[in-house]
Amino acid sequence: MQLRRQPLPAPRPGDPDPAAPLLVLLLLLALQGAAAAPAGPGEPEDSGWRQDAEFPRGLLSQAARAALHFFNFRASSPSALRVLAEVQEGRAWINQKKEYKVDLVFTTELYNPEEGKEHLGKCSARVFFRNEKPRPAINITCTRLIEKKTRQEEDYRLYKYMKQLKNLLDVVSIPDSHGHIDPSLRPIWDLAFLGSSYVMWEKTTQFLHYYMAQLSSVKQWKTNEDAIDFDYTVLLHEFSTQEMIPCHIHLVWYPGKPLKVKYHCQELQTPEEASGTEEGSAVAPTELSNF
Amino acid sequence: MQGLLILSVLLGAVLGKEDFVGHQVLRISVADEAQVQMVKELEDLEHLQLDFWRGPAQPGSPIDVRVPFPSIQAVKVFLEARGIRYAVMIEDVQSLLDEEQEQMFASQSWARSTNTFNYATYHTLEEIYDFMDMLAAEHPQLVSKLQIGRSYEGRPIYVLKFSTGGNNRPAIWIDTGIHSREWVTQASGVWFAKKITQDYGQDPAFTAILDNMDIFLEIVTNPDGFAFTHSKNRMWRKTRSLTSGSTCIGVDPNRNWDAGFGKAGSSSNPCSDTYRGKFANSEVEVKSIVDFVKDHRNIKAFISIHSYSQLLLYPFGYKTESPADKDELDQVAKSAVEALTSLYGTKFKYGSIITTIYQASGGTIDWTYNQGIKYSFTFELRDTGRYGFLLPASQIIPTAQETWLALLTIMEHTLNHPY
Repeated sequence: MQLRRQPLPAPRPGDPDPAAPLLVLLLLLALQGAAAAPAGPGEPEDSGWRQDAEFPRGLLSQAARAALHFFNFRASSPSALRVLAEVQEGRAWINQKKEYKVDLVFTTELYNPEEGKEHLGKCSARVFFRNEKPRPAINITCTRLIEKKTRQEEDYRLYKYMKQLKNLLDVVSIPDSHGHIDPSLRPIWDLAFLGSSYVMWEKTTQFLHYYMAQLSSVKQWKTNEDAIDFDYTVLLHEFSTQEMIPCHIHLVWYPGKPLKVKYHCQELQTPEEASGTEEGSAVAPTELSNF
Repeated sequence: MQGLLILSVLLGAVLGKEDFVGHQVLRISVADEAQVQMVKELEDLEHLQLDFWRGPAQPGSPIDVRVPFPSIQAVKVFLEARGIRYAVMIEDVQSLLDEEQEQMFASQSWARSTNTFNYATYHTLEEIYDFMDMLAAEHPQLVSKLQIGRSYEGRPIYVLKFSTGGNNRPAIWIDTGIHSREWVTQASGVWFAKKITQDYGQDPAFTAILDNMDIFLEIVTNPDGFAFTHSKNRMWRKTRSLTSGSTCIGVDPNRNWDAGFGKAGSSSNPCSDTYRGKFANSEVEVKSIVDFVKDHRNIKAFISIHSYSQLLLYPFGYKTESPADKDELDQVAKSAVEALTSLYGTKFKYGSIITTIYQASGGTIDWTYNQGIKYSFTFELRDTGRYGFLLPASQIIPTAQETWLALLTIMEHTLNHPY
C-alpha cells in the first residue's frame, strides 16, 4: 500500500482535490479551524440548534467514544490511555442539516488497569457529529487519572524499552488467535492502539464506532533517530456493520511530543467491485493525515 | 520466527522424514553489495545443501540460512575469509524442534476423558466433536448426541440432548458459535455441557430443572465458519456458502431468519458481514434449527449466545414495537444479569435488541419469539472491546461460570412459569 505524502501544518477538510480555488480553500480552513478549536466564541450557536429530547439511544455512547479516541490521541501518551466506563448524563441538540451537538459527562478507566486498583476518571465533552461525515469536532476535558510526572516517567520508560526492541518485523497477529499478547510486546500493542485512536476518532460518526481488534503486522520499526517510527497494519472492528477493516498506519512518537499519524484504511467492496480474491480488495482512498 | 520454523521444518520432517541433528541457523549481516554477491555465490554451491530462510537481498537486510551439519565448517570458513559477519541463531535445529513438538503435544488436548479435557483453552472443531462423544459415552443415561443436519461444506451439525426421561418434555434450547469468530461462546458451550453433567443430581435447583425439562445444546452452530477461523481467517463471522453472482462468500446466519427478513438492519451486499442471504433460511445451518424447532413443538426457552459487548437482549431487533411480553422479559433479564454480576462483578446491560445494540433484521430470537417461544434471549458475552473477539483463554472459565448463573435464572423462571 502506498501512502501519498501530504505534509501539512494543520488538519484539512476531506477534499483531496489540489485544484480547489484558493478562496474556497481559505474558507474551508477557517471553518475547520473554528470547528476543531476549543469551545468559545467561535461556536456555531447560531446554526439553528434546537434541543432534541428524543435523541437516538446510542448517541451519548457514540459521542463518548469519539471524544475518548480524540483525547487519547491528543494526550499522545501510551501509558495513560483511557477507555469508557460509564456515560452519566448528556444532552443533544440537532440542527436542520441533521447534525448533532452533544454535551456529556462520562467516567473512564485506564486501558491498562493496575491489578486490584480502580482508577476512575471523569470527563466532560462537547461533540459535533456532522451527519455521518468523518472527524467529529471534539472539545473534552478530563480529571487527571495519573500524576503528570508519573505519566511522563512511564512514557519515557516505555520509550527507552521500545528503542532497544529489535526484530519486530516478524511480529504477526497481536493478540494471537487465543487472545494472548506476549508481555514483552505489550508496549507495541499500546503504541499501536494510540495510533489507531487517531484513526478511530476520525472515522467515528453518530452511527459508526470502532475497536482495535488486532495488530496484524509490523511493516517497519525504526528507532535509529530520536523518535520511534512505527509502520503497521491493524484490523479495526466496526460495530454496527460488524466489518473488519484493515488499516495501514504510520506513526512517529516521541514522549511528550504530539503524535504524528498517517493512515490508509481499506473500504468494503461493493458487489460490483468484487473481483477475484474472496476477501475483497477494492480500495477507496480515505487519506488523511496530520504529518 | 519460531512459528515459521515449526511450519517449514516440521513439514519437511513429517513428509520427508528428515532429521536436523547438528544443523545450525546462521544470521549473516552483509555490509555492502559486494558481500551480498558473495553470499549469492554461496547459495549457488548446491553440494552444501543450504536452506535460505531469508535470502540475500541488499546490504542491511539480514540473511538467515539453515546449514546442514556437514557444511557448517565450510560455510563459516567461507564467510570469515571474506570478512562477512554472522551469528549463530540456532545452535541445533533438531533440539529446538524436539522441544517445540513436546510443547505442542502438551497443549494440544488429546484428552481421554472430559475430566482431563482442558476447559481453559480454545479448541478445534475436531476436539470439540471428540469432547461431545466422550461426554455422551460417559453419561449415556443423561446425554445423547443428535445430528440435525449437514453444513454447507458437508460437516455434521450436532446438538447435545440432556434428558432424564419423559416424552418430548418442555425444553430449553441453547446455541453458541453461530458467529464463528466469537470463540468464547463455543468454549463456554463446552463448559456448560460438562457443568450440566456435574450439577445434575448435585445441585437441587438445577436437578429440579432437568427432572422436568430437557436441554438442547448446540455448541458449534456454524462449523464451516469455525473451521475457517482456525485455518485461514480468525475474524470470519458468516457461513461459508457460495453466493451465485458474487465472488464473496458467506451469509450472516443471524440475519437469515424469517423475521423481518430483508428489512433495515441487514445488508443485501454479499461482501458484507451482515449479508442476509438471498432468502430467509437459505443457510442450511439456520434451516436445520428451524426444522428442529418446528418438529419439536415444545421448546419453551431459546437462548442464542454471541460475543462481545456484555449484554442480555430480548426481541425485537427488526422493529421498535415492543413484544407483548416485554415487561416479563425485562424482569427476567434484570434478574439474570444480577445473578451474572454477582460472581465476578462483570457489568451487563439489558434490553431489547433494537434499543440496546442496533437494528438487526432476520435475527434468531425474533423468529423464535414469533413462533411462540416466549423466553427468547440473546447474550453478548465478554468483553466490551479491549480484546473483543480475541478474548484471552484465561477468561473462558470465568465467562462461562458467570453466564451459567444467568442461564440458570432463565431456566428456573421457565420451569416455574409454564405456558
